Amino acid sequence: MADCRKLDPLVTPYVDGELDARERADVDSHLRVCPPCHSRVTAEQAVRDLLHARKHALELECASAALRAKCAGHKGIVRANKGYDPFSRVRALALAAALVLVVGGAFLYEATDRSSRVMAAELVADHVKCFAANRVLGTTTQSAGLVEQSLASSFGWHVRLPPSPQEIGLELIGARPCLYGEGRMAHLMYRHNGQPVSVFMLPNASRQEALVSVLGHECAIWSEGDRTFVVVARERREDMAHVASFVRASLR
Amino acid sequence: MPPSGLPTVVLFEAEALASIDSLYRTALRLTRDPADAEDLVQDTYLKAFRAADRFEPGTNLRAWLFTILHSTARNRARDRARDAVTIDSDAVERAADGDGAVLSGSQGETPESRLLRETLDPELQAAVDALPAVFRQAVWLRDVEEFSYGEIAEMLDVPVGTVMSRISRGRRLLFEKLTVRNAALSGTT
Repeated sequence: MADCRKLDPLVTPYVDGELDARERADVDSHLRVCPPCHSRVTAEQAVRDLLHARKHALELECASAALRAKCAGHKGIVRANKGYDPFSRVRALALAAALVLVVGGAFLYEATDRSSRVMAAELVADHVKCFAANRVLGTTTQSAGLVEQSLASSFGWHVRLPPSPQEIGLELIGARPCLYGEGRMAHLMYRHNGQPVSVFMLPNASRQEALVSVLGHECAIWSEGDRTFVVVARERREDMAHVASFVRASLR
Repeated sequence: MPPSGLPTVVLFEAEALASIDSLYRTALRLTRDPADAEDLVQDTYLKAFRAADRFEPGTNLRAWLFTILHSTARNRARDRARDAVTIDSDAVERAADGDGAVLSGSQGETPESRLLRETLDPELQAAVDALPAVFRQAVWLRDVEEFSYGEIAEMLDVPVGTVMSRISRGRRLLFEKLTVRNAALSGTT
């Protein structure tokens, strides 16, 4: 390839490694005899490599909690779109019987700064995210004893899980740290008739008892001592009250 | 129902919301204003959730969201441009062509190693933000968000050739900015 103009459209895919072997050989042969083109390719390669090497530093800015809650608040629009969701309302309610029990070890909500509704909205978003993450990462089934030990060693939080969750159809599926709250939350995951619900624990926080409907989920909130518990599920209100009542009575 | 046991709609929502940080960062590069970036991201999710039935399962949801983000940004810019001076992006690109000279590196050290050694993270961020919009978008989407040329072409609504051209010119402009700055700081010319 003798003409620099012919090289022009090939430079970027060359730098990005997107040329086939023949095209790459053509570019290489031209670069060996053309210092200006060689200089251009070298410069482009240097910037590409610099951006890739510093990618982490360019990714420090994150969406605020308020923006997350606002965007999550638009989710109801999808569910209102009957053309998208293949499930009827009745079937969706049956599906919503799922239960993932999530326990927060050191979640940093400040009761004085956030309303219960905003807090519930963020926890609903986290519930959905964590369940999706669990789907990817996989969570092994663990005994209540192992989970209690894990909470004590990882978070310094001594808790007794419900000893007989099967009484209301709960099945413990595991525990893992939550990415939310800078990894200082622990998740205890259960299933209820095969489907998820979430319970969060916020240490050093106290809130008024409430049952909040937000983002298509029901959130039961209560405090005991210096801990606040939040149960999240896509359940009917009365079903949620039943699940929350059981958790409240049996989780210590 | 998907194998996870979750309704499709929940998975769609969760996967869409998982891209919020990268959408916000990209919106910041587009608007260079945190409040405007938040508005843009919120508007993007509103439109995406409204158009969820038009998303084709199995295709790249993240790329689809970025396409909505850029389309929304373009529409906003168009609205604002009615009362402002119109910027001819082709003219910007032609002007950038005139800056094609590339500084040669010093003997014994490659441009790559010099850039890596001499460029601080905030300087790199500032240099990216200082690029003309058309180049900033292309370089960011390719080198930071790592989209394909085809995906970027769809997002920016331009031909693939234009995408490659903008990436190339954007990278060279960045190189010039950073090397000139580094040379000035080190007292060399």
